[in-house]
Amino acid sequence: MNAARKAYAEIKEIDELVLGDSPVHRLSPLSKLAVTFIYILTVVSFNRYDITGLFVMVLVPVIGYQASGIPVSKCFSKLWPVMPMVCAVGLFNPLFDREIMLYVGPLAVSGGVISMLTLMMKGVFCVMASFLLVATTPIDEICRALRQIRIHRMFISLLLLTYRYITVLLNEAAVMTDAYHLRAPRQKGIQFSAWGSFLGQLLLRSMDRTQELYESMVMRGFEGEFHYARTRAASAYSVPFALICSAAVVLMRFYNISAALGSLFV
Amino acid sequence: MIEFKNVSYSYACGRPVLHDISLRIEDGEQVGLIGANGAGKSTLLKAAVGLISAQGVITVNGMSVSADNLPEIRKTIGYVLQNSDNQMFMPTVLEDMTFGPMNYGMSRSEAEALADETLAGLGLSHLKNRHNHRMSGGEKRMAAIATALAMRPGTLIMDEPSSSLDPRNRRGLINTLNSLGQTKIIATHDLDMVLETCDRVILLSDGAIAADGKAGDVLRDRELLEKNGLELPFCLAGVPERTRG
Repeated sequence: MNAARKAYAEIKEIDELVLGDSPVHRLSPLSKLAVTFIYILTVVSFNRYDITGLFVMVLVPVIGYQASGIPVSKCFSKLWPVMPMVCAVGLFNPLFDREIMLYVGPLAVSGGVISMLTLMMKGVFCVMASFLLVATTPIDEICRALRQIRIHRMFISLLLLTYRYITVLLNEAAVMTDAYHLRAPRQKGIQFSAWGSFLGQLLLRSMDRTQELYESMVMRGFEGEFHYARTRAASAYSVPFALICSAAVVLMRFYNISAALGSLFV
Repeated sequence: MIEFKNVSYSYACGRPVLHDISLRIEDGEQVGLIGANGAGKSTLLKAAVGLISAQGVITVNGMSVSADNLPEIRKTIGYVLQNSDNQMFMPTVLEDMTFGPMNYGMSRSEAEALADETLAGLGLSHLKNRHNHRMSGGEKRMAAIATALAMRPGTLIMDEPSSSLDPRNRRGLINTLNSLGQTKIIATHDLDMVLETCDRVILLSDGAIAADGKAGDVLRDRELLEKNGLELPFCLAGVPERTRG
């Protein structure tokens, strides 16, 4: 399978995950969006040295993955290209912040190491929460939820059309790569000399297709505003879920559960 | 009623596609638009709904095809693209079908009811919640027609509707087209289908009208068809002999 087809299949696989029927899938998109947003804000608000307080925040996405029936490993397998970048944030902190903050046995741990770990955890937790939202909510419903909170229609159209364009682009790239390899069987990848025309053709072909998509939209009255059909009724638990979950997240922010648990044993 | 008066169109590079086309399609007519590749069939259809700006005058139900009238014109004309993947851009058939009616101000529940009714009428209710990327080519084509019909158009324009369909799906499509009461304009190379679905045939050649008449007359004229890069429909020509081997 060529890389473009694989990437296309990955996107389609996320579309398949969305079709699940777990309690998390049944929640209203707006409640999931709100909880994800509050969770991310809370996670990034942690002090750079508050690693114990932050650590407990992993429970929220982990419980979410369990309830949705989506393995946590799916998030990491799908987003592995992003993870190194997420983890690279703060990589240089140990060089600049060398003040010793604590000792783990004989090992001295500097503030830079703690803040690096905190930043990495923040990034990974936010990615986990975002992936959970995307894997349990169709893109159209996320856009509908964004529209409900008055995000400008231009931004939403841009988001939705970009998502569509990515699949069109990958589809065309897959077809072209197959066509190339059928006539260049001994080559690994696409020769550098062919990249110019390959990319040019890819752009033209995908633009032709997106032009047709756009024509199909304007033929049905599209004037910049997407209207969304209901694909499934939202669970009655959506509002209680949003309230309880948000409250729990905020509580975890201001009450150090790790320290409280630790004090039970010390 | 759609009327073209002295319509011409050239690509940006200057290559002419349509030359001085004048024709009139009355309400209720079933018109086959035929011609060799590059004859201008798709361009003529796109000009009719304002997807391209052609020279000359085009009117739809008395309204000229201009920016002011486009929303009203496009509401009355259902356009089915050649590639169903490009027509169906929403995740599910239901969402695609409600897209148009909701853009024209219908409430979600009304649009869904209309979609249900349309799908039931076409015998496609089982496709309602199907994801577009999970359907076969034949299902996609029928769903694409359903998305256009959900707008309750008076006229249905189709570009190569039978391309890449297997015989069974093609037969289903022909039966569906014959059961629809709308005015239909079908651009196609499938002359057998034209013979079964259309009363009138317009033959385009190099952007001009080479023939316009009853389907039976035009499609039986071997000399005319061959002169314009086509062949007699298989059902009239009989089974062709092998020319090699």
